[in-house]
Formats: sequence, C-alpha cells, structure tokens
Amino acid sequence: MTDLMAQTGRVLFLDGGMGTQLQAKGLQPGEVPELWNLSRPADVRAVHEAYFAAGADTVYTNTFGANAAKYHGDAPLADVITAAVGIAREAASAAGRKRFVALDVGPTGRLLKPSGDFEFDAAYDAFAEQVAVGAKAGADLVVVETMGDTYEIKAAVLAAKENSSLPVIATVALGEDGKLLTGADVECVAAILEGLRVDALGFNCGFGPDLMLPYVRRLAAMTSLPIAVKPNAGLPQVVDGRTVFTVGPEEFARDVAALVDAGASIVGGCCGTTPAHIAAVKAALGTRAPKPHSPAPRTIIASGSRAVEISMDDTVIIGERINPTGKKKLKAALTEGDVAYVLREAVSQADAGAHILDVNVGVPGLDEPAVLDSTIQAVQSVTDLPLQIDTSDPKALERALRHYNGKALVNSVNGKEESMSAVLPLVAKYGGAVVALTLDEAGIPPIADGRIAIAKKILARGAEYGLKPSDFVIDVLCLAVSADAQSANVILESLQRARCELGCRTCLGVSNISFGLPARPLLNATFYTMALANGLSAGIVNPLAADMMTAYRAFRALTAKDATCAEWIEHFREWAPTSTVSATGGKSAAPGVQGDAKQTESPISTAIRHGLKSDAATAAKAALANGAAALDIIGNDIVPALEVVGKGFEAGTMFLPQLLMAAEAAGAAFEVVRASLPTRDDGSVRGPIIMATVKGDIHDIGKNICRALLENYGFKVIDLGRDVSPEAVVTAALRENARLVGLSALMTTTVGAMEETIRLVHERVPGCLVTVGGAVLTSDFAEKIGADHYARNAMGLVRYAESIFP
Amino acid sequence: MTVDLAEIARYMRMGASVPEGELAARVEKLRDEALGTVRAARIWRRFKVSDGAIKSGSVRLEIGGTLAQHIAGCQDAFLVCGTIGSAFDAFQRRASVSSGVDALVVQAIGAALIEKWMDETEDEIRKELAPDESLVSRYSPGYGDFPLAAQRTLLDLLDAPRCAGVSLTDSLLMVPSKSVSAVIGVKKGMSSE
Repeated sequence: MTDLMAQTGRVLFLDGGMGTQLQAKGLQPGEVPELWNLSRPADVRAVHEAYFAAGADTVYTNTFGANAAKYHGDAPLADVITAAVGIAREAASAAGRKRFVALDVGPTGRLLKPSGDFEFDAAYDAFAEQVAVGAKAGADLVVVETMGDTYEIKAAVLAAKENSSLPVIATVALGEDGKLLTGADVECVAAILEGLRVDALGFNCGFGPDLMLPYVRRLAAMTSLPIAVKPNAGLPQVVDGRTVFTVGPEEFARDVAALVDAGASIVGGCCGTTPAHIAAVKAALGTRAPKPHSPAPRTIIASGSRAVEISMDDTVIIGERINPTGKKKLKAALTEGDVAYVLREAVSQADAGAHILDVNVGVPGLDEPAVLDSTIQAVQSVTDLPLQIDTSDPKALERALRHYNGKALVNSVNGKEESMSAVLPLVAKYGGAVVALTLDEAGIPPIADGRIAIAKKILARGAEYGLKPSDFVIDVLCLAVSADAQSANVILESLQRARCELGCRTCLGVSNISFGLPARPLLNATFYTMALANGLSAGIVNPLAADMMTAYRAFRALTAKDATCAEWIEHFREWAPTSTVSATGGKSAAPGVQGDAKQTESPISTAIRHGLKSDAATAAKAALANGAAALDIIGNDIVPALEVVGKGFEAGTMFLPQLLMAAEAAGAAFEVVRASLPTRDDGSVRGPIIMATVKGDIHDIGKNICRALLENYGFKVIDLGRDVSPEAVVTAALRENARLVGLSALMTTTVGAMEETIRLVHERVPGCLVTVGGAVLTSDFAEKIGADHYARNAMGLVRYAESIFP
Repeated sequence: MTVDLAEIARYMRMGASVPEGELAARVEKLRDEALGTVRAARIWRRFKVSDGAIKSGSVRLEIGGTLAQHIAGCQDAFLVCGTIGSAFDAFQRRASVSSGVDALVVQAIGAALIEKWMDETEDEIRKELAPDESLVSRYSPGYGDFPLAAQRTLLDLLDAPRCAGVSLTDSLLMVPSKSVSAVIGVKKGMSSE
C-alpha cells in the first residue's frame, strides 16, 4: 500500500460501505453477513466490482465479523473467510491494473476484561485464526477496523503481525466526543498504534467526514505514519423506523478532500457510503499528492484510556509505592494474593497526584511472570494511569508487556549486553518507552562522562531495533550522598547532559539520595527540587509524601509550568502553618452533634456515630495524646459506638450508607490507635477471612461493601477479587489456614460456580466454613447449595464473623 | 443527563429518606465525578410481531409466556438497548477499592443514571410513533419467564455490540454493567398511559 503510494505519489482510495450495500440487497438485521460469501457470492462480488469501477485501489473483504468469538453461522468459519478473500481477488483481477484485497478484521463483539469477561488471549486467538486463514487465501494486507477498545486493537494488531507478514492498517471508531467507547482519545490511540508498529492508522465509522476533520488534524500532529479515513455518509438518522445516512456523494467528497488537506492519505467510506460516494471522492482528489506531516518526536506512554507525555518542558511523577523492597505489608499482600491491598496503593497514589505508577512485584519465591501479569491487569482495572513495568526478568517483562493495555514505560534496560539484547526487542515489538539505566558490566561510572557514554551506547543499540532517542528515558542513577559526597553533583550534571547532549528525557529514583542519613524527607525534597531545576522529566517518588508533592507543585508554580499558579492556589487555598497541634484534637464535635449525644459520650464515639472519618481519627489522636491507653480507646469508645450503629441498622433506624460511613470512621480511629498498641500480634486483628466473587461473576460491589465493613470491624480480610476459580479459593484458604470463606454471586448463571466452590472448600479445607451472599441468593437456596451460612447483608456477615472469631 | 439526590437515594436502600450532611456531600461529589465518565449509547429498532415471534430473515426471537401476555395485542414492538458505558464501570471499580460507602453510592448513581437514560430513550422512541400509537412498559430478558438466553438474539437483532457497545459475558451478563435491554410493545388505539 505504502509502496503504491510512493510509486504513484498520490492518495490511495479504499472502498465504501459493505454492510449497508448488502442490506440494500436484502440482508436482514441479525443475519450473518459473512454467510453470503458462500450462499450469495455473486452479490458480494458485485459490491467489490462496483467499488473497483468507482476507482478504489483496495477493497475490504466481507469478513468484518468472521472471527470465532463473534461468528455464529452454520458453515465452517475458515470456508467463509477463504471464500471472502477469493471473491475479492476475482473482482480485483477482473478490474485490471494493480488492485488490492484487504482482509477486513472487525471487533469480536465481546467486551474484554476488566469491564467484560473476555480474555485478551482469547481475543488474540480469534484474530489469529482469521488472519492466518485470510493470509493463506491471498489477502494483500490486513485492516483492523471499527475498534472501540484499545485492548482489543492490540490483540488484533499483534495477531495480524504474528500470523502474517502483511502490512497492517488499524482504524478506530470514535464517538461524537472524539473518544473510543472505552474512553481513549486520539493521542492515546496514536501512541498505542505507533508503538505496535502499524503501517497506517486512522479512523472509520462513527460519523461523517465533516466531524472527523478535527481528529485527523490531531492525529497528524501526533504521527508521521500514513493516516487512513473511512467516514460514514454522515450521522445515522432514523426515517420511518429505518436507519439512513443522508450525506450525498458530492458533499462527502468535498469533506473528504478537507481530510486529505489535513493529512489523510488513504481514503474511503464506511456505513451508508456507496460506489457513487467513492467515485465522487476519486473525481475530487484524482492524483492529489498526500500532504506530509512529521511532527517532532515526543515521548508518550498510555494506558487504555489516558496518554501521558514525558516531556522536555515539564515534569511528571512516577508513583513508587507498588514495590515490595523494604515494604513488609506489600510483600505479605503479594504473597497472600491480597489483591485489594495492592489496589488501594494504586488508587491512593493516583488520588495524591501521580501521573504514572511503577509496578514491581519482585518477592523471592514468587512466580514473578504470573504475579506481575495478574497484578498489572488488576491495577489497570482500577486506575487509568499508565504503568511503569518494573522487572529484571525478561520473561516477566514480555508477559506483562503483552497483556498490558496501552503503551507502557519499561523499567528498565541497562548498558549490559545481556540486558540490551533481551529488553530492547521487546520494547520494539510491543511499543513503549524504556528507562535506560546508566550502568554496565563495569558497574556505575563515578563521573558524568561515564554515565553519558553508557546512555549513548544504549541509544545506539536501540537504533538497531528501530528505537528512537524519544523512546528512551535516561535514569542517571541516584546514589546515596552519605556514601559518595559527589553523588548529587554527578547526578545533576548527568541530568543536564542527558538532556542537552543526547536530547533525551530523564528519570530518577529521588529518595535514594538520603539513604543512611537522618531527616530523609527534608533531604529528599530539597534534592528533588534541585533535580527538577536541572531538567528532570520524571521523578520516581512517593506521591503520599507531602514534602515531595510540595516540592513538585512549588517547582511548577515557580517555573511557569503552572502558569497562573492555579494548581498551587487550588491545593494550598486553605493552607495554615502546622507548627501547633491542638492537644484537644482540632475540630472537636461535629456540627449538630451536641444535642443528641449522650452527655458522657466521647468525641471519638460521637464522630463514629455520625460517620465523620477525619474527626474520628483526630479525636483518637487527641485521646492518645491525653494519655488514654490504646486498648481502652478500642474497648470504651470505638467498639461501643459501632455497636450502637450496628443495632440501629438492624432495627431499621439507620440505613446501609450510614452504617458504612460510621464503620469507615471507626476504621480511621482504629488505624490511629493500632499504631500505638504494644505489639501488632496482640490478637486485636481477627481472621483471616478469605473473600471472593465466584468464577464467571465480574460484579463485586456487594463483596467490596462486605470487605470494607469487616475490615472496619477489625477483621483481617484477604480479598481475592472477582471471577475467582474454585481452585484459587481453596489454595488461599489452605495457605492461610482459614476458618471462614465468604463468597458472592450476583447472577443465577454463576450460582453453579458458587456451589462448586463450596463443595471444593468443604472437601479440601476441613473445618473451614463458607458464608455466601448476593442478589440472587436466599437462605433456603444457600442451604441447598451447601453453604454453612447465608449473609443477608453486610451487617449479617459481620455478626456471623463475630460468632466465628469471638 | 443528571440525577438528583432523591433519585440516587432510592437505589441506596434508604427508603424514603434523603441523604443529608456529610453523606449528601459525598453523594454529590461522587455523582459529579461519575457524570464525567458517562458515555451513554443506545440503539432501538422496530419489528413486527407475528406468530409468537419477532422475525428478521432467518433470525427469530420468541415472544411467549409472560412477555406475550405483557404485549398482548401489539402488532409491533421495539427492541431497545442502552448503556451508560464502560468508563463508568472503571470509575465504579476504582471507587469501590477503598470505601464501602463509595461502592454503595456509586452503584446507586449508576442505577439511577441508566434508569433515567432508558426513560429518555423511551421518550425518543415515542416521537417515532403514529398519533394513535403508544408504548407499553419495558420488558427485559430475565423478567417473568422471558429467558435470559433470549438476550443473545435480542442484542444480535440490534447489532448492539457495534451500535451501542453492549455485549454479553459467557454467563449472559450484559457488559458494561449499567446496561438495559428490553422489548417494548406498540399499542394501537387509545393510549392508556
């Protein structure tokens, strides 16, 4: 295709709509269009011939839905695809001069995880089969089109590239707001598709060419690859109960010409367009040369719905907290499979202002490829921040990169030959930017010259794999200033030189600088500021550390990056010096509380009963400061208040939201107090309770509510997440020696999986009880499927847990 | 599209009471965030009902049992499918990571939003009716004895994955989670609604 463009020096022409043409010939809603390749080949061929006659260089085969996940016709799928390519080939030969047949690959019609239940690998398999058959049948190229989910696009493009050597064009269907169904914008799509090394990219379907114009402009500003467009003949309209497209050939052609002026160079039509539309486009554009677009290279990484630029002109924060090095709780959570703990780390960093999250699961003894893979998928299910995949195991890296939704930041490659030859090809294949550590077989050079030389070496090796300097982020390595007095000076010089001499972005794990010294937060924040002033593009920091975030915000306000200081003002609007902490606990009672509280009730109890989380924590701090014993606070204030609320809920005078608010407040107070308990293993934590939503069920709100309430009542919960297999529940229960498992199911169709899980737990984990809950269950039904207990609601579950763990 | 506190409260298992104070502030904040994630889509199509089925070429959706009673006398029916989109699901997952309250509230917001979206969709459909036609209420797979398995045919007839971004899981659950599909009968003669 692109060769042809180079040969002819003109815009290339695609065909117009297939589905709407077949409908005009009698295809009914709900029928499988691809079956016509076998039952009515002459009609399909007539559509292709009409498009070739109108001037198309390329037609799309009638295989939009011919993947095993979507297709449900009664003829073998391979026959349908082979016939489709054959029909298009015949039409192409009959048309004379060089014409092309594009194997059309549309979506599976299934929603991939995490919003749906369809596995990435299953989508890949469906596309792989389609591509293999289509390529064998003689297609000239593969077009992945009408995609609405970046994750599915990735599966399709990988399948096309791994199962054929054909060129690949990928086009997405934007909604009227310029985004995919799953929320990705143009920049995000461009980053991912460029990373996957498609040959051309663009848009199809969605709307007419007029509305497509701004998005083509944005795409042309992002990529130097050829841009393909196949707009509809306007927006669909309903006339007399039928969907029609009303933009005629002349108007369509005029608007498509504007798309070419904006940078499109491969043009055709989608729904509602006809051979007359394509003929008009051909007449309007004739031998028009493509308009070149080659924007300056940028370093952009993305999740499935958000792109983040690592820039020379600004700085971003990479959250470092999902890394078990030196973190006992995270290590335990990863070992136990407590997904919820890791997810909370992700969400709290996102809330604190991180732009990218580092994910490292390196715990000795763990199956790192498996755990990294599942952790990344879980983290991506709760945050749209792009991730930095942090591993030194190439196997783990490849599996994670393959299943990552988006274009990742890879942490890391270094100057050792072994590292470069393992990591760089993976980055080239799956797309991504990669952190380059300036160390090699000889170690870390003590001076900047040596570090820059290693960076150059890595860039040169990257070029062999087609990677550009903008695909790298140089990490000049942060060594403790306590071990080497010149460390900070060398880092700052290296940052400057990586930027100026190599034209590269930089990153740095900032807090290493203070290792071995007291008052580390103070040193860290100051050094962070110095690094920023020397051009640091991305700091790997703890976004929950207030000093670091303040340094970041101050730097941006002072260097015109937060131009009107709007973000600074927004954040510090209510700032006040914090040198004096009130011993009585700040804001005492909540407004309106005095009247209805018992005279003797403590501020902690009051705050809990009213669901005031920060007040409860503050009051607990104040009580500790006044000398109250931690166990007394729990026994005299927290537990009685929760008891009042729980009784209120059971009596119907309080509702679930209020119960949960009170429980959260209690949890906050408990968290404060627990820190000053004599030891952690004092029996104040009860459990563990294993919780899971059963296999096949992806709705977990009920389970999450129960988990939150249990935790606030002081139980340890190991939350295995949703869509959990019976075996996984049993494995966790055995490992934890659990006495209680809680299962949730929402659908009648997944109660079978619940029954199977109960059976397996009872069989393999002697003495372990199973409680169940969920919308479709009743007490009788729970008994019938073998459960030991039916939790009518979250409070009922707490009461049951209290009876098991008195 | 938006929903007010009272509409949300109906789905928060709070009976007739409306959130106040801290809870009200939390609901409003979450609602505003949720609205930023809504990408509502819908598709509907009118079909003839004859011989106890909706037929389209070789495809057949059985209209029997309680559904047949519900739309008795209707010669036509709309199939409809709507969603508030999968970005809302992502928001809901995030909201439920650390707070049971947020999980409950966001769940209720989603329920209120899809209900409103489907009501608005019905208003749009009414505009296509002849003056002597009216709609009977929505009837979804899983109600009465209208089998959940009919979901697949219903969504196929609407090309719902492509036109509205709604598809099914293996366990016949619609995804995105806040989606509704239904049959809506068209009544001839004097409107009873």
